[in-house]
Amino acid sequence: MRERKSVKFNLQQQHQQEDQNGHLSPFKLANLFDPDASWDKDQLGDILHWIRQALALICGLLWGAIPLVGGIWFLLFVVLSSGIIYGYYALILKVDEEDFGGHGALLQEGLFASVSLFLLAWILVYSLAHF
Amino acid sequence: MSSTLFSNMKYSDSLTVVGISICTAIVCEAISWLLIYRTSSYKSLKSTIDKASKKLETMKTTDPNTATIIKKSKTKKIDRVESSLKESSRDLSMFKFKSGGVVALVLFMVFGLLNSLFEGKAVAKIPFVPIKLVQKMSHRGLSGDDMTDCSMAFLYFLCSISIRTNLQKFLGFSPPRGAAGAGLFPMPDPKSN
Repeated sequence: MRERKSVKFNLQQQHQQEDQNGHLSPFKLANLFDPDASWDKDQLGDILHWIRQALALICGLLWGAIPLVGGIWFLLFVVLSSGIIYGYYALILKVDEEDFGGHGALLQEGLFASVSLFLLAWILVYSLAHF
Repeated sequence: MSSTLFSNMKYSDSLTVVGISICTAIVCEAISWLLIYRTSSYKSLKSTIDKASKKLETMKTTDPNTATIIKKSKTKKIDRVESSLKESSRDLSMFKFKSGGVVALVLFMVFGLLNSLFEGKAVAKIPFVPIKLVQKMSHRGLSGDDMTDCSMAFLYFLCSISIRTNLQKFLGFSPPRGAAGAGLFPMPDPKSN
């Protein structure tokens, strides 16, 4: 059975950091792969959003360059990006999704914008490179 | 050399649409910042919503090591915080709505300009046949039966969603997560349109 780690909301710690420094401590890149790191809901949401956007851009450029044609590749992107996001927060970060509003809330972070960005990149590269 | 390269591309107009969309997004966010985001009213409302959401989450979190019975008084307190959060979200929406008219006008004018430039012209090629519902926008104003032809409206729509949402996110102008109406598909903040 997979262990689920509860993540504490470190609001008090965050406020203390703000008081000491007058601003938030810089976000450490190493925390992105650290299952022991504490996550604020907003921070985790933002990370997942930007990961989705990066995946959308990469897939859109790739799909358009090859090119991959057909609606099935759109569905594949959605499944692939959702799978990567799920794998990231559940397997790498090992967060307890209940602390962040459930799987739905985490999986929908940045979904609509990433689908639009993916379509935009795919259409642009396909149109410009192959016609 | 680059102008020759672009003129040889059949769908080079798509780059014009994207370029104008990027500029429009920047202008709209600048106007929103001027009229909305830098005002003390907006900052205090946003701060209130952030605090209320975090307070609500803390109050709803139950300690698994103790009994999970929530007392009646705590439930009442949660309801009170929720009402306060909804009220602040409503005030924030109303505030943005009043100031968003200018941005809406800019967007309307830009869309009109693009429409006059590219009406009836396919600006890109879609690598799949969209579903019927999407075809109404993707094939808007285009002649012929090739549903993979992409109209300016659809490309502009994609640009607006992707570029403006991410720009707002990058600049920190996205609506707070605790605000009502964040929904399943968060669009670029409509009240700043």
